Amino acid sequence: MTQTAFKQERVSAAGASVTLRGITRRFGNNSVLEGVDLDIKPGEFVAIVGKSGSGKSTLLRVIAGLDHDFGGALTIGGAGGVKTTARIMYQEPRLPPWASIIDNVAFGLGPTPSRQDALSKARNALEAVHLADRGPEWPDVLSGGQKQRVALARALVSRPDLLVLDEPLGALDALTRIGMQSLLENVWQEEGFTAILVTHDVTEALTLADRIVLIENGQIALDLDVPFPRPRRRGSVQFAALADELLSALLKSKSQTEEYVI
Amino acid sequence: MTDLALRVSGKRVGRGGALALPSRLSPKGIVPWLLPLTILIVWQASASLGQLPASILPAPSEVLAAAWRLLRSGELATNAGVSFSRAASGLIVGGTIAFSFGLSNGLSRLSERATDTTIQMVRNIPNLALIPLVILWFGIEEGAKLFLVSFGVFFPIYINTFHGIRTVDPQLVEMARSYGFSGFALFRRVILPGALPSILVGLRYALGIMWLTLIVAETIAAQSGLGYMAMSAREFMQTDVVVLAILIYALLGKVADSAVRVIERLSLSWHPAYRKGRRA
Ligand SMILES: Nc1ncnc2c1ncn2[C@@H]1O[C@H](COP(=O)(O)OP(=O)(O)O)[C@@H](O)[C@H]1O
Ligand SMILES: [Mg+2]
Repeated sequence: MTQTAFKQERVSAAGASVTLRGITRRFGNNSVLEGVDLDIKPGEFVAIVGKSGSGKSTLLRVIAGLDHDFGGALTIGGAGGVKTTARIMYQEPRLPPWASIIDNVAFGLGPTPSRQDALSKARNALEAVHLADRGPEWPDVLSGGQKQRVALARALVSRPDLLVLDEPLGALDALTRIGMQSLLENVWQEEGFTAILVTHDVTEALTLADRIVLIENGQIALDLDVPFPRPRRRGSVQFAALADELLSALLKSKSQTEEYVI
Repeated sequence: MTDLALRVSGKRVGRGGALALPSRLSPKGIVPWLLPLTILIVWQASASLGQLPASILPAPSEVLAAAWRLLRSGELATNAGVSFSRAASGLIVGGTIAFSFGLSNGLSRLSERATDTTIQMVRNIPNLALIPLVILWFGIEEGAKLFLVSFGVFFPIYINTFHGIRTVDPQLVEMARSYGFSGFALFRRVILPGALPSILVGLRYALGIMWLTLIVAETIAAQSGLGYMAMSAREFMQTDVVVLAILIYALLGKVADSAVRVIERLSLSWHPAYRKGRRA
């Protein structure tokens, strides 16, 4: 899997740095984030894990700039001090069905790109996700995995410094998910953006991330470096050991809102 | 390509009309027409054999002859033209106002709070109940017809525009906002296309109400138009003209409905229910 289309246009590969200081967020009486401190280096790939309802999406929406009602300080440093915009990828592809696939990708360039420019950029982005020849079709003819690839192309077409992903592969079948993971890793290596991935899949976190943080009780409970060289082999002993450690940390962690009552 | 077309038509059979087109040309396509054809033949035969007095129901051939007569004298074209322009102007006036209210109430909570309750209250007035009052206000001039038709088409278009905008997928709106869309760009690229299927449903309802209102208004109080033509023919026992007027109303209604179907097929080509094949 190569991203020749993207490589040719590449000017400078650099991601944004992200600094969180004492981030808090509450919904009414429900305090979801209770002081999150986190430093993410430019170009780093960070995975966020935690129980359902632990506030992963909430944190991600704060970082992505979709939620402004939080406490604490959030700093996003663009490459070379330039102001950046984060791009977000959701669990659902969120492709407007009335726009063709290529127009859907062009959505990622905002409301006022020049038509010619937008189409050529969108075409390159589609090529990067191996859907080059599907541009004129309607999105609902695509499979779930293909739709998420279009959503990825849309997120990347503006060449963001920061990409946040909220369980983007959660709805895909196991095989498609593995393909998407390696696509994501490739694009990330080509583009050099900073990536923050929320996932409930420990293997996925270990396959993709430089660092894994665990959210518990509204705070960072565990911050783990993943030292394996890429591309990673799921089968190795060290991999399995780390997966075990992470899984037991996850299971021990008590989310504020218990999912079950005995 | 064919594979896709097959899958699409196989998936949605509910809306037969648009997708069943090819089958109309096959022998099976004749079946729906057998019954109306039989009725027509029996009707003509019983009239010719003297079983059906012309004062009750004239033979199809007499209706055709009346059509020819009125066409040659120009009466038919004049009256049909008058009715059509009344229908169109009422639809344009009422539809534009309704669309504007639907937009502003769909997009702004403040606007909704200010006007929606009032509109819902007025909606309970059957528009034909207003005829006596409207005659007092406007006499039997064009204003009366314009008012009644506008009033009638207002509600279906208003309600469906409002509903269409309010039910646009909020996840898509959030997505578009995150990519910098706001204001008119957001409206044009996301909200309007998302609301369009509902808006067009409103338009189709409105067309039905438009013809009904116009027929009644022209029959009760008018000095031209198809309804007037039918009523004055009644005074002279010209049943052939009465039946002709009824048939032309049906025809115009059908034409209006087909026009909306064409609009739907053109503007909703992305929608699985309206799609014929891949986009070029
Ligand atoms: N818009 C909202 N209004 C009220 N409560 C919310 C809202 N968004 C999230 N929450 C609450 O915040 C908590 C964390 O939610 P979320 O961040 O979605 O969890 P996660 O993504 O880790 O599963 C949940 O208890 C949820 O009910
Ligand atoms: Mg979540």
